[in-house]
Amino acid sequence: MATVMKEGLGLPLEKTLAYKLSQRDTTYDETGCYWGTKELTLKDQDPIKYEQFFSRLQSAVFAAREKARYVAASPGGREMGESVWALATAEGDTLAMSLGFISHCAAFPVSIKHMIDNDFEDNPGINDGDVFGTDDPLTSGAPHPGDTYTLVPIAVEGEVIAWACSVNHIMEAGAPQAGSWPVFTVDTFMDGFVFPPMKTGENLRQAKWWETLWMRRTRAGAMNILDDKMRLAGCSMIHGSIHEIAEEYGVEYYKQACKEIIEESRRMILDNMRSTLIPGRYEGSCFRISMLKGQQTIWKHADKNEMLHVHTMFSQDEKGGIVFDTEGSSRWGYHGFNGYPGGSDVGLYLGITTTFAHSCKASAGVNMNVESIYHEGSIYNPDTEFAACANIWAQSMQMQCLSSSAIHRNFFMRGYLEEAFAPEDSWDGVQGSGVLEDGTPYGFTNFEWVGGGAMGAYPFKDGTPCTWAQHTQLCNVGNSEEFEYLIPPLHHLGRKLEPGYCGHGKYRGGVGQSSVHWMQETGQRLGITRGGSATSMTTFLSSGMNGGYPAPGVITVTALNTNIPDLIKADGDTPTTAGEVLAYAAKGKLTGDITSWKYDPPEQSMGDNDLWANAAGASGGWGDPLERENSSVVEDIRIGQLPEDFAKTMYGVVATKDEDGMVTMDEAATKQEQDALYASRKADSKPAVEWWKEQKAKVESHTIREELLEMYRSSTSFAGYDKHYRNFWQLDDDFEI
Amino acid sequence: MEVVDKGLLQQLVEGQISDIDVDEMRRMTKKDPERFWTYLDILQEKVTWDNKILMRLNDHLYIVMNGTERIVKCDCGHEYGDYRVNWKLHTDIRTRDTQDSMEQVYYPAAAAPDPEWMELREFYCPGCTAQLAVEIVPPGYPLIFESFPDLDRFYREMMDKPLADESPDWFKDKTADFLAAL
Repeated sequence: MATVMKEGLGLPLEKTLAYKLSQRDTTYDETGCYWGTKELTLKDQDPIKYEQFFSRLQSAVFAAREKARYVAASPGGREMGESVWALATAEGDTLAMSLGFISHCAAFPVSIKHMIDNDFEDNPGINDGDVFGTDDPLTSGAPHPGDTYTLVPIAVEGEVIAWACSVNHIMEAGAPQAGSWPVFTVDTFMDGFVFPPMKTGENLRQAKWWETLWMRRTRAGAMNILDDKMRLAGCSMIHGSIHEIAEEYGVEYYKQACKEIIEESRRMILDNMRSTLIPGRYEGSCFRISMLKGQQTIWKHADKNEMLHVHTMFSQDEKGGIVFDTEGSSRWGYHGFNGYPGGSDVGLYLGITTTFAHSCKASAGVNMNVESIYHEGSIYNPDTEFAACANIWAQSMQMQCLSSSAIHRNFFMRGYLEEAFAPEDSWDGVQGSGVLEDGTPYGFTNFEWVGGGAMGAYPFKDGTPCTWAQHTQLCNVGNSEEFEYLIPPLHHLGRKLEPGYCGHGKYRGGVGQSSVHWMQETGQRLGITRGGSATSMTTFLSSGMNGGYPAPGVITVTALNTNIPDLIKADGDTPTTAGEVLAYAAKGKLTGDITSWKYDPPEQSMGDNDLWANAAGASGGWGDPLERENSSVVEDIRIGQLPEDFAKTMYGVVATKDEDGMVTMDEAATKQEQDALYASRKADSKPAVEWWKEQKAKVESHTIREELLEMYRSSTSFAGYDKHYRNFWQLDDDFEI
Repeated sequence: MEVVDKGLLQQLVEGQISDIDVDEMRRMTKKDPERFWTYLDILQEKVTWDNKILMRLNDHLYIVMNGTERIVKCDCGHEYGDYRVNWKLHTDIRTRDTQDSMEQVYYPAAAAPDPEWMELREFYCPGCTAQLAVEIVPPGYPLIFESFPDLDRFYREMMDKPLADESPDWFKDKTADFLAAL
């Protein structure tokens, strides 16, 4: 049979990317196996060789991460490790990943498919050692423009057999709102430096104009170029390694083994899902405020307040894989909290990948066991190409925790309690821009409270602080050293766990952390905002675990024109957490313009001795708080993680702490208080049916604030959720919500 | 560790297990499928009633056989009716919708949800007053049906031990039917 050549490419058809992509999909649809790989022939024939081969691939990506971060990197890339390096197949399916942002395996195939579908093979050409970059949520699967990708094709005799891929969260994205998670963005044109997949270099070297773009279109050009070099350095290492491996094992072995690796992991991940999950339907929801009224007056269509609703239904397909349906989630809007399906998947896969690929090769086999349903027109799949996506993380980490929450309920129901906990992980980032006294402009993001979340409570013990970050295996305690010296005016006045700040329960969540940033030498100008998850207007998720309270949202407190210098001169006693800022203000010790924000504050213009305090990383509780052991409450008081007055209202424990730190519990008063709390449950509650009738009347009379009615109208514009809502409140079809 | 024995699982259920043992369990390459049966044994021994437990739903709630019915039952003995109806509709509900009442359960005060936008619902067992669930949602939000397991499929496909009364009807949400009858 004559070889069919694709016009203009000089390659047999079967070696082109377009053909490979098509055949991959066709064979999977026909067989349910990756590339129709029903038998793992190479693995069966010589398992040692096969495993050695895979370990070479894995080593290549691990080495890339561990070395490239020390070639050049911003603090976000090095100190935080907000990055990943991966090896993908020619079609973009991940084979091996380093530690780090592993859920970004969902984005690589979107970029590569975009390039294939748009004939990049012909123009500009996809050749060995070319360098492609992107951060566009629509065309590349990036969650937001802060996550920037480098993709390097690896070709042997003109045939692309693999891609070296990398992503990291850059320090500044070049939007009107400085930082890397803009909130006040109306459409994609305000998201910052957004670029679809494009060739930016050749022969493992970036074009000079590429650096100029970073310098001209972002406020932290030098940092972003360092990150660009970091990503490319790692990809170059992978490129070199794969050429060596392909030569050593032979290209045909390489290509077939890669198919078997993904098929093998697909099977193992499915088996992990089937052996730990329980088929059924698991509903979840969470909320995120977008408070823009009065702040977008130039763009009237964006000048509104919206409560964004995330509604999810977790279930299983016929094989036992996960189906995650987001119907009922709000329609997209003129704010930064939208995303496109690729970026939404990056969020969703955060927990799924680490949960189910722990015992096998972490590859694109994950993707084939998850069906995510993002309804057209929603915040996860806008029916416009121009939606702003600058800060999808503000709610997509909540969305993914709804998936994890369903999974962890399954673990509990099936008896695998050791794996079950309340999966919540609020995060916060301080971002902004300024001009130094000498006229030097700069922009920045501080990732301090991105990397150090708390574990939620387990069904058998408390959660622990600073031990979890759902987006990476490499959580930290809120590292900030490098950020601190690279962001001139922000200095830590205080930093510690925020007492009592968690979801409470029989077992409490891990306590969150707090910082007080003290402005000094602010130069000509300093403007600060935040880019973070749920604000304290809402909790992180709607449902607590089995009677425990869900994690609180992020606390933001600003204090302008303070008397901090006087406090330092007097006795040096200054507030060390956001809670203490408010407490000192309440006592009159701290003076100034002090605001506790329940939503994202607009940019705050800050000067010397102003404070920006935030608290994040709290997690959720498990079980009825009145079933908590009194001794555990006393211990929390002793170690300073629970204020005495709150111990009384929350747990009914009456205890005092003396000057030496000794805690004494009054047993009789505690018994009396706990009896009173039980009695108040009976006195202050009503039968659910009675409650339902009263609430139904409220719904029917529209005695709910207008923004929330708008939220319900948005969610019920999707047919399935409309039915769900009307069924619950027993509303006629013609009732206008 | 390949199998978690009953004694160890009992310690886990009671919250009396050591961190070392928990770590060992987490390191299991593959979870032990028989765990589910051991779990049910332990739970059955803990409750004072005789209904056969089909599945644990919550710290206090179980789906149990009650004659030919599958119902939700609290460990205190209170019965919640057909498990296909969201059991929250058979609880007692307290709503916190003021700043003061929110601050009784969230600390510091700045962390408390905003009662202008959100309400906090606590669900208590009418039998023993245990707090079974918490929801923090806007007013007018439907009760969340957290877990509705497909028991027939689970017992047949995952545990290879089909239930005797299998029927497609068991996996149909009956919450709306219940509400329509009010």
